[in-house]
Amino acid sequence: MHNFPPAVSVFHTLPGETPTPTPDLRSPSRFLLWLMRQQAPVIASATLVGILWQMPMTVGPWLVGRAVDRGILANSTEALLQWTGLLLVVTIIGAVFGIAMHTLVVRSWLIALYGTVSMVTRKAVQLGHVLPRRTPTGEVLSVASSDSDEFGGLTEVVARALSQFVAYLTVAAIVLLTSPTLGLMVLAAAPVLVGVALPLLRPLHSRQQTERTRNSTLTSMATDIVAGLRILRGIGGESTFGRNYARQSQLTRQAGVSAGVWQAAIEAVGVLLSGCFLVLLMYAGTRAVDSGELTVGELVSFLGYGLFMVGPIRTFFEFAQKLTRALVSAKKAVAVLELTPPWRQPTDPVSLPHDGDLVDESSGFVARPGKLTVVVSAVPESSAALADRLGRWFTVEEEPPPLLETTGRRWGRQARAERRERRELMAARDAARAAEPWGVTYGGVDLGTVPLDDVRRTILVSDSNSRLFAGTLQDAVDPHHQLTREQAEEALRTAAAEDVYDALPGGWAGELDEQGRGLSGGQRQRVVLARALAADPRVLVLVEPTSAVDAHTEARIAERLAEHRRGKTTVVTTVSPLWLHHADHVVLLSGGRVVAEGRHEELLTDDPDYRDVVVRTMEDVGV
Amino acid sequence: MSDLLATSAATWRDPALDPPLLPPQLAQTPPSDAPASEQLRAMRDRHRLRRERAERVYADSRSPARGWPVADDRTVVRFVVAMIGQRRWSFTALVVLNALAAAAALAVPRLLGELIDRVTAPGPAAGLGSMAMVIVAVVVAQTAFTFAGQLTSTLFGQNLLASMREYVVETILRLPLSRVEGASTGDLVTRVTRDVGTMSRAVQYALPMAVITLLTVVLSVVAMLLNSVLLALPGLLVIAASVVQVRRYLRRASICYIAEGATYSRINTTLTETVEGARTVEALGMAERRVRAEEDDIEVSAQAERYGLTLRNLLFAVIDIAFNLPRVITVVVGAWGYWNGYLTLGQITAAVLYVEAVSGPLDRLVAQVDRLQVGAASTARLLGIATVPPDRDPGTAVPASPELVGEDLRFAYRPGHDVLHGVDLRPVVGERIAVVGPSGSGKSTLGRLLAGINGPRTGSVRIGGVDLITLPLEHLREEVALVTQEHHVFIGSVRDNIVLGRETADDEAVWAALDAVGSADWVRRLPDGLDTQVGSGNLALTPAQAQQIAMARLVIADPHTLVLDEATSLIDPRTARTLEGSVHALLVGRTVIAIAHRLHTAHDADRVAVVIDGRIVEFGSHDELVAQDGEYAALWRAWTS
Repeated sequence: MHNFPPAVSVFHTLPGETPTPTPDLRSPSRFLLWLMRQQAPVIASATLVGILWQMPMTVGPWLVGRAVDRGILANSTEALLQWTGLLLVVTIIGAVFGIAMHTLVVRSWLIALYGTVSMVTRKAVQLGHVLPRRTPTGEVLSVASSDSDEFGGLTEVVARALSQFVAYLTVAAIVLLTSPTLGLMVLAAAPVLVGVALPLLRPLHSRQQTERTRNSTLTSMATDIVAGLRILRGIGGESTFGRNYARQSQLTRQAGVSAGVWQAAIEAVGVLLSGCFLVLLMYAGTRAVDSGELTVGELVSFLGYGLFMVGPIRTFFEFAQKLTRALVSAKKAVAVLELTPPWRQPTDPVSLPHDGDLVDESSGFVARPGKLTVVVSAVPESSAALADRLGRWFTVEEEPPPLLETTGRRWGRQARAERRERRELMAARDAARAAEPWGVTYGGVDLGTVPLDDVRRTILVSDSNSRLFAGTLQDAVDPHHQLTREQAEEALRTAAAEDVYDALPGGWAGELDEQGRGLSGGQRQRVVLARALAADPRVLVLVEPTSAVDAHTEARIAERLAEHRRGKTTVVTTVSPLWLHHADHVVLLSGGRVVAEGRHEELLTDDPDYRDVVVRTMEDVGV
Repeated sequence: MSDLLATSAATWRDPALDPPLLPPQLAQTPPSDAPASEQLRAMRDRHRLRRERAERVYADSRSPARGWPVADDRTVVRFVVAMIGQRRWSFTALVVLNALAAAAALAVPRLLGELIDRVTAPGPAAGLGSMAMVIVAVVVAQTAFTFAGQLTSTLFGQNLLASMREYVVETILRLPLSRVEGASTGDLVTRVTRDVGTMSRAVQYALPMAVITLLTVVLSVVAMLLNSVLLALPGLLVIAASVVQVRRYLRRASICYIAEGATYSRINTTLTETVEGARTVEALGMAERRVRAEEDDIEVSAQAERYGLTLRNLLFAVIDIAFNLPRVITVVVGAWGYWNGYLTLGQITAAVLYVEAVSGPLDRLVAQVDRLQVGAASTARLLGIATVPPDRDPGTAVPASPELVGEDLRFAYRPGHDVLHGVDLRPVVGERIAVVGPSGSGKSTLGRLLAGINGPRTGSVRIGGVDLITLPLEHLREEVALVTQEHHVFIGSVRDNIVLGRETADDEAVWAALDAVGSADWVRRLPDGLDTQVGSGNLALTPAQAQQIAMARLVIADPHTLVLDEATSLIDPRTARTLEGSVHALLVGRTVIAIAHRLHTAHDADRVAVVIDGRIVEFGSHDELVAQDGEYAALWRAWTS
């Protein structure tokens, strides 16, 4: 990892890749250390180069002093040219190594940043649908979008602080050798100058925090207005929400101004102290010159050094600040990266048979091979849960608690520990569930004894939460680039999604926005359906595939799909009667059990419960 | 129906023929043993290619193929100048106070030089103490001016920023209804988040800082010249020579940073899709594809970063020399001047201190101008929202009755592609009409025309004899409302969420509306009643409660005609039981056009219009249509048997 973008292959290794080292996740500080070690050569060279880059600042004033003493005052052209020549060389060295330094710190910054993004991406695909069960997705995304930048910032400040430290020692040596008293003054003043501002930093930071909080509320209000803009322009309310926004905008402004007062105070105190220090140095210096202890040239170089020393000290404080921030970020990154999938590779992996009944033991549900089975339930959640079991998916019951909340101090630690415990409990529960037999068999083989990949390849469950990704319509329908055009057309027709094709400029090459935004709910649902059909799995389980589609289109889809999937095992959960005519087999689910099954017409006449559910859904929906 | 997939063969691509992510010149570098000239040429090629890529991204951001328009640079400058003009006095205070602070700061080296002169004068130095006191006084003055100057700059920046962002939200709230209904809001979200953020940084910090550093630089030059023209001129000339390169950098840098920013939002978007679609990725075995997509995004981003890196290094190569060389020159010229009696040692000292002090502000000035340019690009995107032309030309006519008439309606989203072919619809006042038809038949378009959101290409929609498209928006809302499936709960109080349609409504009216939709009880139980804060980040409402709030809004707005699009989605089947009463309360006594997905809406309506391919092919009561045994009857049989 000596250049960007770094090659990262942990957590999920793609074919043809060599795995890269796994990060040290034992603690946040170890993680940061690991990150630094990964690119130690880059940081080390940046430090060395940084020392040379600082030369005009470290030895420049001394050279100027020499030029004044030996050249100007001694009336020696030769000495003048010699010392100014050296100054010129140092200036050029500074410029050349400035470029090298910049190149190296940008490199180390981006290695850390891109590397973190890659690790998070691979962790996300490694965990798959288990990820949102472990941690709120917002926390995952913020590791990649903002914490990664903190890591980059840390690598930069480490190199800079190390090289400034050397610069500080160099200058200390020069000034102490020139004049011990004045040298001590210069060395002592710098920490004092920076330290005096510290008490002012706390009120500043708390006000900046208020400003940031108010500003993020303000941003969510603007986003909220945009999200509800159709309502605001259609029904009204522009002045109410315009006013609310303006009020929050003014609150944010006030917070910004009150932070600004402290910022101005800090600046002013800095000016006052460094000004006074310079006067003091000058006064003492001129007296020393007057009494012959110091040459004029040495005094001139002291003037140059007086304020230079503030730079390294500031950098050291900056380093401390960035390290603290990076540790917080590392904690968040570790919390995400340390998650592990609950699945264990079965000890005696068997493979799924080519065909057979798909049986769910807990409900008694059976899907016959090659048939279209429709599941009806008065409670849609229970059919969705059945579909999840059929595909060996965990069902989302509860949101994971957020791990890090910045609010609260004293009780925060305890609350954090509790949340951590709850998350670990959820993980342990999943792992236990994954270890026991799954309770669903395909051709007599329990899904738990089969490698997960095999299950995923055989049984495709397309739930109501299926997403589209940005890209062309062709990529959306054929993500693996394995279809012929005719197959893709067929899938699109079966899902009655030709109008999406027609509406997109460029047809197959038409671009979908991220997550398919810009399409209506019904259009999105039909493209998702087309994608599922095009994947052509041996078993296809569709959860409410037409809930956002009008009756005409739904009828068309049901008919075409029955034809398209003829001879292949298909399960559809739905509340719409339009599907039922096309079903080879209808199953009524109640209280988590199959209570009736058969053909739609028979059930309608023979089973009063069934009639109740089917007819009641019809009545319920009426306006 | 024509074959919608007619162009399929022409637009289908063979993925094997996709061009590589990066052109070969960027993907590979010549071997390290290649001659230097070849290496150099390859480097220049790469830099040029990267520049072209950045320029393309920038050009796209200035004239987006989809989304909202972008204002031009002149508009931005005019706008900012006008905004500053409104704050003439605080801007003047900003300039004067910061100029005084800079002047005081510049007096110090001069006085230090004076001290040196006294020390080097033959004989014992006199008045060193009083001289030091003068410098202390100057430092104190500098402190006071710095504080006041910084404070005015914060006030100025914050006030300017508040006005600008409030203006942006005002313009969003004035966007034409037809555009709001038609366009995706994704682009607007980006603008109110990312672009407002970029603009904020520019207005809050970069603008005042640029003014301050510019003042410092100008005054430094003045101070250097006052100290000694002879010492100042050679150094200043060297600095001035760097202007060419600085300008070249500034011309390219903002384009580069905008392109860089775009690559980072691309990285985030891809990751967001992967994480939020984790289950889909797993179900379809797309893990490898998603990882490769992310890696491609990073590869593209790295190219943008390399372009920026090269640009900056080309700049540093020049300014690091140009800003530091004057120190060498000053010492040499100083020596010559001193030997010839033109200059004192104090003047040389002051000059050295000046040239050392001026390089900081110069560096900062370049950085601030950079940020200002990036901020200006974001501001252009924000001001672009204001350039959307209004879609209505309101007249003064007042409807004589609540009678809705649509006649000979034709409409096209793309010229030459009518989606409606001469539709007539005349609901009786108080009647409930259901419009059914397959997706793409034009029924939603019909709904938008009847709600007065779009004007028809031919024909007219009138209420009480007045064309809807000539009604001012606030009057239109009293006549007819389009209800889509959205039941967005806004951030604000419960009251704010309900009074939308009649912002003057008192609490009594709000309670009456809540009562009508059956929500009064649970609202009363909320911690602060009508003042309870709801919406994202506040108290979360259940979907059923959100739907009731949406309906209470309509009860308060009280239009006599409702167009319900996808009405069944407004009423989620799972909550339907509890909402039946609310729906009834909302619909009673109004003319209702329901764009129906579910056939029960049609069954319960007074009349049903079946729309197919932009025409009403069947029209009549449910029973009549079933008896006709046409399209509708067939669908109905499929539904019920």
